[in-house]
Amino acid sequence: METTDLNLFVRTSEETLSDWSRDRIVHALQKETLIDEETAKDISIEVEQTIRKSGVKMVTAPLIRELVNAKLIEKGLETARKMHTRLGMPIYDVDSLILHPNKENANVPHGPEATNLTLAERIKKEYALLSVFSQDVADAHMNGDIHLHDLGFIDRPYCSGQSLEYIKRFGLNLPHSLSMAKPAKHPEVLLAHLIKFAAALQSNFAGAIGWDAINIFFAPYLEGMSDNDVKQLAQMLIFEFSQQAVARGGQAIFSDINLYWEVPKHFENTPAIGPGGTYTGRTYGEYEKEAQRFVWKLFEVYKEGDGAGRPFFFPKPIVHITEKFFRTEGWQDFLYHICDVASDKGNTYFVFDRGETAKISECCRLSFKLEERDLKDAKEPWRMRYCALQNVSLNLPRIAYMAKGDDTRLFDLLTDRFVLAVKAHKEKRSFLEKLLALGEDGPLSLLTMKQDDMPYLRFDLASHLIGMVGLNEMVQIHTGEELHSSTQALKFGLKIISHMNLLTEKIKRNEKIKVVLEQTPAESTSYRFARLDLRYFSPLSGRVVKGDIASGEIYYTNSTHLNVHAPMNPIERVTNEGKFHPLIEAGSISHIWLGEAQPTKEAIADFVIKTFRNTRNDQIAFSPEFTTCNRCHRTSRGLMDTCPYCHSKDVDGITRITGYFTKVSSWNKGKLGELKDRYRNEEYFGHMSYAINE
Amino acid sequence: MRSEGHRVPIKGFIETSFIDWKGHLSSVIFTGGCNFRCPYCHNSDLVLRCREMEDIPLRHISSRLKKFRHWIDHIVITGGEPTIHKGLYRLIEGLKKQDMSVKLDTNGSNPEILKKLVADGMIDYVAMDVKGPLNGYPRWCGVEVDIEKIEKSIRFIMEGHIDYEFRMTIVPFLHKEKDIYDVARYMAGAKRFFVQEFRPKNTLDPSYMTIEPFSPDKLKEIRDNVARIIAEKDDATAL
Repeated sequence: METTDLNLFVRTSEETLSDWSRDRIVHALQKETLIDEETAKDISIEVEQTIRKSGVKMVTAPLIRELVNAKLIEKGLETARKMHTRLGMPIYDVDSLILHPNKENANVPHGPEATNLTLAERIKKEYALLSVFSQDVADAHMNGDIHLHDLGFIDRPYCSGQSLEYIKRFGLNLPHSLSMAKPAKHPEVLLAHLIKFAAALQSNFAGAIGWDAINIFFAPYLEGMSDNDVKQLAQMLIFEFSQQAVARGGQAIFSDINLYWEVPKHFENTPAIGPGGTYTGRTYGEYEKEAQRFVWKLFEVYKEGDGAGRPFFFPKPIVHITEKFFRTEGWQDFLYHICDVASDKGNTYFVFDRGETAKISECCRLSFKLEERDLKDAKEPWRMRYCALQNVSLNLPRIAYMAKGDDTRLFDLLTDRFVLAVKAHKEKRSFLEKLLALGEDGPLSLLTMKQDDMPYLRFDLASHLIGMVGLNEMVQIHTGEELHSSTQALKFGLKIISHMNLLTEKIKRNEKIKVVLEQTPAESTSYRFARLDLRYFSPLSGRVVKGDIASGEIYYTNSTHLNVHAPMNPIERVTNEGKFHPLIEAGSISHIWLGEAQPTKEAIADFVIKTFRNTRNDQIAFSPEFTTCNRCHRTSRGLMDTCPYCHSKDVDGITRITGYFTKVSSWNKGKLGELKDRYRNEEYFGHMSYAINE
Repeated sequence: MRSEGHRVPIKGFIETSFIDWKGHLSSVIFTGGCNFRCPYCHNSDLVLRCREMEDIPLRHISSRLKKFRHWIDHIVITGGEPTIHKGLYRLIEGLKKQDMSVKLDTNGSNPEILKKLVADGMIDYVAMDVKGPLNGYPRWCGVEVDIEKIEKSIRFIMEGHIDYEFRMTIVPFLHKEKDIYDVARYMAGAKRFFVQEFRPKNTLDPSYMTIEPFSPDKLKEIRDNVARIIAEKDDATAL
């Protein structure tokens, strides 16, 4: 029987109506799978019969494909079926996606661009699980043993940290762009280059884009500028980065800026690049005053907040506190200045670089200690480009449920999961290698461009991150006590993380890839793991997951943090959480939730100095809460249902979700559960239930 | 036996406070019992039900202070009203021996003990609550008060032997705006005078929980006016 005998139209994916043709099935099966022509023909005939029997007059190409897949299953041709899979989404899902906001990442606004992003992510996620990762890795992700972060961005590395020097030296000369710009001559132009380049990078990386020592590298451009002009520049920088809708999916660029009061030792004798991309004949050490002027003004802008007095969400200012910091003139005033911002708006991140280690921070808390080769690169800072290729988190409580109290089994399982995570890293690594090998004509051409003697992305330096979720609950299940409840529990937690740390060393030695531990931000992962464990490990998990089971607002405690709900002296929190930090190479943080309390800048400064001196904590941030009114556009302290100024109920709550500030209305259920639980140190910051004003 | 009787009942202890002593991390000790009955008091348990509250042993406090010795060397004693306890001097003496700087919160009803503590170098900072214009004290404090003692305390503190602050909690309906400015005029020339916002939470007189605090705008206006008055040193007038 000829195919034209069937009076049937097919809606194809090319937006055309075609006449029925059985050959198309045969053709597709031969092109996409490994089966022989005979079998393909048999299948096409069987599918035709099925359609004929049904009596329909119009079918879609996806329907035909699924009918073919059904036949492949019947014939036991599983490999062929997998290769013949169609990726896509049910109409119901697309409909609700277009109508309702995405809650997986609170940094994604709701709009057509955001919908595009989510749709693309869904398909790439499915593609990654089917085609980039092996079945055991994909299954472990699906069932919640591990979490492969940013699967929707499978064709990009994870995050990137770089130096402004690259743009200062080479201008903006991006592959396939319509115009090239020579090195900037004026600070405003340099700023424009920075923003454009950050946006270009954001479309090539899944996560954060970080900038090292940005106030130092701006300094040679600022000479001769008035204070007002420097302030203006600071304002432009923060406004440009904080404006939404400039990057993919209408997201703000997830950006970090690293700042120093002193000129860090490793840049002191570095020849400075000035306007026009030429050396100024001086070193960065000689630009300390200009660098200080700029960072001071940046914090003035943070202190003021946006037009409605809200804190800026991005870029996140990361201030490095070093031994040299305390030896640099004016440090005390500057510390008060940034502590004032920490108390009032919360923006400031305090990173502690103790001893002689130099560090660069990239993502929420991702940082790299500079090694010898890097310090050599510091003489030509445009070479300092670092990235992480992927982030994989382990579900620690899951391991404890399965170990059933047996120590040996617990550590064996932990090792197994770790090895699986490394396998996932190798798979992503070789996938990215394939994309990068396509060079200038490939999808990641920006990362292969060679302005100096090597590609932009320094693949040999790339890290692979392994994170952890719910150490607190793991220890709770295994020992009966949470990390904060006893010294033994805390010690057991340290043993777990030490074990993971040892595994990274082993992998580095044996596999020659740089695997490092990171405190996963786990904005949605801690919710996802808790939900999956509630399904698979009840009733035990019901007693362990944090939050409110009835409302579904459940979560595991992030990474190695202590229970967020437990009343605890902030000194003990930063001290005990800090004990984990030296074991977590890629960086850690302790959050101090302030609620509505507004401690004095002097007390915060006192706390910061003592945290530097008395603990091994890597990084701290203070997080206040705000209510911003959509009617009168004013912002008040604390989370409230109504605006205290105009009594409108049209308000948004704002506070830190994981590593950054957002509107609470965009949070996922797990994070909402955590927010309700957060112990806001009322006893320490807020027992005097009235504000003091001088 | 005697020392037992003079022991200060400690009813609360905050190991680390960021707000009780401007400029420093501090620990805070709450003593039980008060000679005032301010209707808007937010520590009513310490005032009315302190006998039912368990005492915190000084031993415990000392050991915690020792644990945090690299962090905390400032301690605030508040209440209730600490100066009603005869054992206060000895308590502070003990803390000074642990190299603590001490701040005392008081309502000013006991100028003698205040003077002695200052004279002997036992306290480093004093914060006194001024409840309202002196002529209305029974109304602000809910009890009869010897106004002379309050005046004495204010004058003594303002002599500036040690660092100090005054503060006034302003309560809508209880205080008229004019009352606030009258106090400010009386305090003119003071080094620090803070206007504290009343919060309708856990108040001694439950009916005060229904009072809506001043709006943020109004509060700012009042604070600005007060700051202006305080700055006018020469304009000091008796209440």
